[in-house]
Amino acid sequence: MIAAVLLAAFFALMLAGVPIASALLLSALACIAWANADAQWFGLMAGPQNFYSAIAKYPLLALPMFVLVGSIFDRSGVAQRMVTFAIACVGRGPGLLPTVAILVAMVLGGISGSGPANAAAVGGVMIAAMSRAGYPAPFSATVVGAAAATDILIPPSIAFVVYSVLVPGASVPALFAAGLVPGVLAGIALIVPAIWLSRRHGFGARERDLPRPPFWASLRGAAWGLAAPFLILGGMRVGWFTPTEAAAVAVGYGLFVGIVVHRSIGLRDLLAIFREAAEISAVIMVILGAAGVFSYALNTLGVADPIADWVRAAGLGSQGTLALVLLALLVVSMFIDGVSIFLIFVPLLYPVAKAFQWDLVWFGVLLTLVVAKAQFTPPLAVNLMVSCRMAGVGVESTIPWVLWFITSFLLMIAAVFFYPELALWLPRHLGY
Amino acid sequence: MAEMQDNKPRLQWEEAVAVASMALLVLITLGNVLTRYLTDESFAWTEEISVFLMVVMTLAGASAVAQRDRHIRIEFFLSRRMPDGGSRPRVGLWRFGVLATSLVFMLLSALLGRWVWDQFHFDETSMGLGLPLWWYGIVLVPLCVAIAVRAFAAFLRLANASPDGGGGR
Repeated sequence: MIAAVLLAAFFALMLAGVPIASALLLSALACIAWANADAQWFGLMAGPQNFYSAIAKYPLLALPMFVLVGSIFDRSGVAQRMVTFAIACVGRGPGLLPTVAILVAMVLGGISGSGPANAAAVGGVMIAAMSRAGYPAPFSATVVGAAAATDILIPPSIAFVVYSVLVPGASVPALFAAGLVPGVLAGIALIVPAIWLSRRHGFGARERDLPRPPFWASLRGAAWGLAAPFLILGGMRVGWFTPTEAAAVAVGYGLFVGIVVHRSIGLRDLLAIFREAAEISAVIMVILGAAGVFSYALNTLGVADPIADWVRAAGLGSQGTLALVLLALLVVSMFIDGVSIFLIFVPLLYPVAKAFQWDLVWFGVLLTLVVAKAQFTPPLAVNLMVSCRMAGVGVESTIPWVLWFITSFLLMIAAVFFYPELALWLPRHLGY
Repeated sequence: MAEMQDNKPRLQWEEAVAVASMALLVLITLGNVLTRYLTDESFAWTEEISVFLMVVMTLAGASAVAQRDRHIRIEFFLSRRMPDGGSRPRVGLWRFGVLATSLVFMLLSALLGRWVWDQFHFDETSMGLGLPLWWYGIVLVPLCVAIAVRAFAAFLRLANASPDGGGGR
């Protein structure tokens, strides 16, 4: 009874537009008090304790660090240089600028861990460039928004850090490794419709006449940025540092490149960068704290296990249940922000995943794929909002284009669903 | 999430606390890497500080964001128009949201205060450094109160906004 009220109250508050952190806290505290009406302080002392312990986890430190890395590289001027280098590599022609945008988003994905930061960095350079080459603005915004969705798959990824904090038994290095192949496949799944649509509609015809930058000069310019993913991922792989330390090293490296090498970051920008990163992290982490209280309430009121039993009794089998869960999340994720999806649903789904013995790393990759798709699926589409604001077009104007990218991305999710090895081969091969 | 770039010249005190915590977190973590390679020693004790700074940054940042009423929420129904077809956004729901935030963080502050009092009363000390736990806790209470106060200020702003004025956002 109380359990049902807990869930119902939370979803009602959330739909009414109460901030998610407040909705989680309010419903959880009310139900804890109700269930412990005769205890001292109504058992509410568990509230601040669980709030604190949900945030005060050392592995979580990777989250603000990687958010900061994203904010720094967003302004460090590496995106422009990478774009120049990528054009020098792939050349000029219809559909090639969108390809460049996706490739650069993928390489930046190997530095930063959040989609919107990536969309801002790539969009800042590519949207104007694509408009000069004759691509319509809604199409350019779609490409940039979709391309940035590869960011949370390609390590490092904030989504994987959050998942790993929530799920015992899925380590950050294993998840990072598991995301790499699906991340690259996702990039390919976006490049195909980008080229096909450009050719079909004759976009970028003017692109052929634009000059191709010299290869070696542009490589020299891009080298500082291109080295960053190797420093971060290689350093973790070789065991120089933990994911958190890798992020801190990347912060130092990014500041060095931005302030000393490219001179694109001044002292004033530094304050704005740190402020932005601290607040983006805080918005996520305050939900994480509230979700800690909420999952304490779920566990003590015994909500999660009945749901797991109920799902198992439905008799859909392991694959059927997982497919249903993913389909449900595909719908829900159109309305709830990505990291919040993890914070709300992973505690509910964890007992289900255990009951069916799904591989928790694979499950994490599938959830992240769903969230990545949601990042460029209207109406919520956080990445698309960033790229559309930069292109000066409305999100609804992208619909004729974005549907192709969504379809292609869904096929790619199905591939990882039917061939778990796509995700699991690399971490096993690396020995995580 | 990425739309927090309105460059105001001056920082609020919570923002300054959040920025300082973030900067310290970077320095401590980088310092750890350096000392480990230079001296083969690890500073496990810094974990306790880092973890505490993360909570400080979360609450301080959340307070700054509450001021601008930018916490993550589902805007699907909030941004619908009223059934009469007018252009008036659902100010009532916005007010309800910020008021709920204010109340729940006030409650959390009270509980946090009570918890810190217990830590003080029973002389609890931290696992790593053996410091009195209330040294940490006492910093968090005002930050938590600040979230409630900032949210309440946002509520008052919304309440005073003219009904057709776009809800103060």
